[in-house]
Amino acid sequence: MTTPGLVTLVTFLPLLGAVLIAFLPSGRPQLVRYAALGVALAAWVVSLVMLVGFVASDYSIQFAESAPWIPMFGIKYAVGVDGLSLALVVLTTTLTWISILASFGPIQNRVKEYMISFLILEVGMIGVFVARDLFLFYIFWELVLVPMYLIIGIWGGKNRIYATIKFVLYTLVGSLLMLVAILATAFTYQHAQGSWADAFDVAVLTKAAAGGMFNGTFGFLAFGAFFLAFAIKVPMFPFHTWLPDAHVEAPTAGSVILAGVLLKLGGYGFIRFALPLFPEAAHTWAPLIIVLSLIGIIYGAIVALVQPDLKKLVAYSSVSHMGFVTLGIFVFQEQGLQGAMLQMINHGLITGALFLLVGIIYERMHDRTIAKMGGLGSRMPVYSAAFGFFIFASVGLPGLSGFVGEFLTLLGTFVVSPAAGAVATFVMIFAAGYLLWMFQRLAFGELSEFLSGLGSHITDMKPIEALTLVPLGALVVIFGLFPGLVLNLVAGSVDATLRAVGVAAGG
Amino acid sequence: MIANDAVLLAPIIVSILLAAAILAIDFALPGRKVPALAVTIGGLTLLGAVILLTGNGTAFETQGLDGPVHAYVVDPLTTFLQVLFVVIVALTVVFAPDYLEERGLPVAEFAAVLVFAMTGAMVIASSADLLVLFLGLELMVLPGYMLAGYHKTDGYSTEGAIKYFLLGSFSSAIFLFGLAFIWGLTGTTNIAEVYAKLNEIANGAAALSPGLGMGLAFLMTGVAFKIAAVPFHYWTPDAYQGSPTPVTGYLSVGPKIGAFALIIRLFGDTLGPLAADWNIVIMVLAALTMTLGNLVALTQDNVKRMLGYSSIAHTGYMLVGFAAYGQGQQLGLEGLLFYAAAYSFMNLGAFAVIAAVQKRRGVTSNLSTFAGLIRREPVLGIMMTLFLLSLTGIPPTAGFFGKFYVILAAVNAGGWLTVLAVLTMLNAAVAAFYYLRLVVYMWMREPQTEMPALRHGRLVWAGLAVTTVLTIALGLVPGVLLDIVQGAAAAATKLGG
Repeated sequence: MTTPGLVTLVTFLPLLGAVLIAFLPSGRPQLVRYAALGVALAAWVVSLVMLVGFVASDYSIQFAESAPWIPMFGIKYAVGVDGLSLALVVLTTTLTWISILASFGPIQNRVKEYMISFLILEVGMIGVFVARDLFLFYIFWELVLVPMYLIIGIWGGKNRIYATIKFVLYTLVGSLLMLVAILATAFTYQHAQGSWADAFDVAVLTKAAAGGMFNGTFGFLAFGAFFLAFAIKVPMFPFHTWLPDAHVEAPTAGSVILAGVLLKLGGYGFIRFALPLFPEAAHTWAPLIIVLSLIGIIYGAIVALVQPDLKKLVAYSSVSHMGFVTLGIFVFQEQGLQGAMLQMINHGLITGALFLLVGIIYERMHDRTIAKMGGLGSRMPVYSAAFGFFIFASVGLPGLSGFVGEFLTLLGTFVVSPAAGAVATFVMIFAAGYLLWMFQRLAFGELSEFLSGLGSHITDMKPIEALTLVPLGALVVIFGLFPGLVLNLVAGSVDATLRAVGVAAGG
Repeated sequence: MIANDAVLLAPIIVSILLAAAILAIDFALPGRKVPALAVTIGGLTLLGAVILLTGNGTAFETQGLDGPVHAYVVDPLTTFLQVLFVVIVALTVVFAPDYLEERGLPVAEFAAVLVFAMTGAMVIASSADLLVLFLGLELMVLPGYMLAGYHKTDGYSTEGAIKYFLLGSFSSAIFLFGLAFIWGLTGTTNIAEVYAKLNEIANGAAALSPGLGMGLAFLMTGVAFKIAAVPFHYWTPDAYQGSPTPVTGYLSVGPKIGAFALIIRLFGDTLGPLAADWNIVIMVLAALTMTLGNLVALTQDNVKRMLGYSSIAHTGYMLVGFAAYGQGQQLGLEGLLFYAAAYSFMNLGAFAVIAAVQKRRGVTSNLSTFAGLIRREPVLGIMMTLFLLSLTGIPPTAGFFGKFYVILAAVNAGGWLTVLAVLTMLNAAVAAFYYLRLVVYMWMREPQTEMPALRHGRLVWAGLAVTTVLTIALGLVPGVLLDIVQGAAAAATKLGG
């Protein structure tokens, strides 16, 4: 039993804020907006305090807290962070306040409910990253679903109800099977130990897994259940079909969080739970997952290439980019894993920014057809420059953060399987192709009839919109030039994961 | 020891006196709802206290006047179930008056009939003899038929009641026939003695005669009717849709949990030695029940009917817990009891919201009635969302922990039960679709007709507050109830693996 600390604070601060906002008058949306922003900024500050207090050279779980919850089954409220958790927590808090700020203009309807949903969503996301108990993790994992379901379903586009139900059902199928696997894992441990003590404790189970407790058929099946849950979330080919719908229909801020954080839950789940608990099965499954990752990378790129809709294009590019994450994880190699983690952070920043940019143009044109946007550069020069910047970051231009993550992943892949590495590298050309081609059609050329018809409605970015993009742009440059900042932070996580799957670090 | 027996029977005596008192007060002050409700709620509170005082943690059996009779038993399982029944009835009584008054239906008789039904369920929970068991069963279901047809002038109510009555009586007859076989082939109706005789068969000392097998089959069929397990569920949707909404809420919970009490007493305590024979049937029933219940619920446009099919699905989940118990998992019974409590609160809450929305005469329970509810009546909408999420099994709610518990037991039992656990989870995902569909209507659709917000009585709000708090609390801090259900399950007969 420990006293509540920073982790509990950062997790439940948004919940407290949501409760407070519930008591604000809904007739004063501006007050609600600033209150929500204030809460999100406060959570962000707490996460930054944690970042400052985090000792990267100490590979153990830090800021750990633990209290018994349901002692009968050894279920605990156990939270704490390692480097990867902390990085993702900071990513979450950052993107949340940016998203809330970006919603000031577009969301005019039911502002109070929206802000409450967003803050509860933040609780779930942070909770997943800090939970050290499988049961607690599952609670937070499911908690994410409900607010996102409402955000897409209430404030989304025309087809929002179809999209949001598809999103929930896909995710639910995966996670319910994962629940069975979680229980089976706890049971296997309980049978071996003869008591329920610590049966859901991730660290204890990981240690038991290292001793081979979850090997064999059981591990194979349980890993399969975890894999399904995480693969749907990432999403990996062929479980990705909910993603384009959800992204296209979600409001801008919803897309930002979806791409920026929700997809990372899957990658994080692989690294934190699936690999350490079932190392043997992970090796068995790895070839299939690598192949699926490669297919996802190629498929996402090809489908993105032909998308007429700007938002769908960015959505499919996510499928492709997240393929690098799973690829990097399942080559079981130091650089690959570093690349995967870096790619998770970068994809959150870059794709988050791209969705913000799509939202900005949609606010003005109420259309996302790329073909109609020709010559935008002459009307919105600052916007186009910003778009260009994040496009280049997404393509992987050296010096910007996207490059390092993909490079490290490819490096790791080449060491393990030159063929897979070659395929993945080849696809990067595609990525450059569809992104740059899109940008060319959008920013350059003759002013389209559609745009000239809109006339003076097309104004350049407002300061508040720029304000949402500047921090992301700054981080993209900083991580591009000094990837060591992130790599140092996650070194402990890389080491722990490699140890868990039986590969010596530094090799 | 007659004094001792009177103490053991005190809950049932108080319960019957209470029903009589309600009728008496209605006779003295006809048509006045406040005194009747005051007597009912005060009496139920007293009854709860009596139950808790009688059951002090150890098992007792009645001794009878001349020589041992062993007809009633009071153990922690009895106490748990009886308290649960009292809570269910208390909540129903709290929810009903608003709805009944609007339609000119008498409140006092409603309360009295409910208390009679509750007495039946309490008798089931405390029976140590098959005849007492049957007596309790009939006392529980007969008032149920009356309640289903309580809205006399409504054709649907009458239709549902007749279907319910015909199929219910039919199944009671089958059940009784099964009991006759058991009596004929074991020579006793005492539960402990039947158990001992059957144990000889299970140990190989005697053979399982075809007659006994027949008896088992009849009993199973009769019980399957009562809990509305597929393929014996056909009466449910009509009875549920036709009944006045507060009655539907009660029917979906009270008689169902009562029938599960019967299952525990009958299949666990009496037929336990033959677990290997009946458990395969329970497993098949569980799989069929939840799958079909959910699939049909998907296509429903009427919310009461949808929740009717969903309650069939929940029967399936509870049967999974019982099947795990049949495999020797004490956890399974604990899970079943926890699920029963969780299901009672969330389902009663959901029906209370429907009743509140339908307060005005002529409002249907179609999905479209719920369009835009969150704007019209935000508090009701949020509560309904919570109950639906709990029914779906989303944490941190009571429904989630109930499902978790049942699955825990099934996974632990291993073998085919693990398959059943996976099937349960897939079913939960299917169920999410129709529960969320209602959420979609409430949150994401505009109201089709202008309906002003209704005023709801204080009792309704109080009852909703209780169900809401319990639905959340049992999910967040299930520990308290866990201790209780463990104690209760420990009192039941342990089945061999």
